[in-house]
Amino acid sequence: MRRFYLVGFLVLVCFDTFAQICFKLTANHAMPPEANLAWVLRVLASPWVYCAIACYIGAFVTWMTLLEHAPIGPAFAASHLEVVSVMVLSVVLFNERIGTPQWIGSALIIAGIVCLAISETDGDPPPAPH
Amino acid sequence: MSATVVMLWLANIVLDTFGQLSFKAAAAGADLGEGLARWKAMARRPWIWSGIACYVGEFLVWLAFLSLVPLSEGVLLGSINIVAVMIAGRLLFAEKLSPMRTFGILLIAAGVAVVGIGG
Repeated sequence: MRRFYLVGFLVLVCFDTFAQICFKLTANHAMPPEANLAWVLRVLASPWVYCAIACYIGAFVTWMTLLEHAPIGPAFAASHLEVVSVMVLSVVLFNERIGTPQWIGSALIIAGIVCLAISETDGDPPPAPH
Repeated sequence: MSATVVMLWLANIVLDTFGQLSFKAAAAGADLGEGLARWKAMARRPWIWSGIACYVGEFLVWLAFLSLVPLSEGVLLGSINIVAVMIAGRLLFAEKLSPMRTFGILLIAAGVAVVGIGG
């Protein structure tokens, strides 16, 4: 079950993260932002928007697979690792500047996920084999 | 915060929490089978559709919300959803909240809030 959660959450975070990156690339592709049909057509002409939709579908399938066993409270919290991964990639790919509070918040999120991982290893009832 | 912002924020919490609980209700249970059979069984449950409806509603509410407040404040207030889903999971699915598990969830909620405060 640890392996199921580990792989499941890694796949989920990858899909979630790449969806956000694809949305950013779509928005860049469709510059300048305007509230009109021309902008919508520029969005639809970008290949990235279809990548983003594919990632959303992938994330949904992964999430529904995880929830067969995972309790919703901790699982929903752990899915916020996306906040950290999107920030790190935004620095690497888009040269965005990240302030100290963002790094502190990221450290707290990762610490929380470590706590959830530890709580998962001691205690829960034995899972169905996968 | 104006009354509109508060209403949109509350709507976001309710839709997010109800949506996540719907997905859990749709996905739970080993009697659903495996692979494609499991997806067909889930599609026959109303919960997966109420979950998707909540997602669509949440998307619209979130867009309206972000047109009124900066994204960082949106992220900050979104950290409340983590706690709301934790409590709802405890009440409706009798999910175990060991001290370590509760501490982990609260750390994540605090981390998301700090990211929002600094934005």
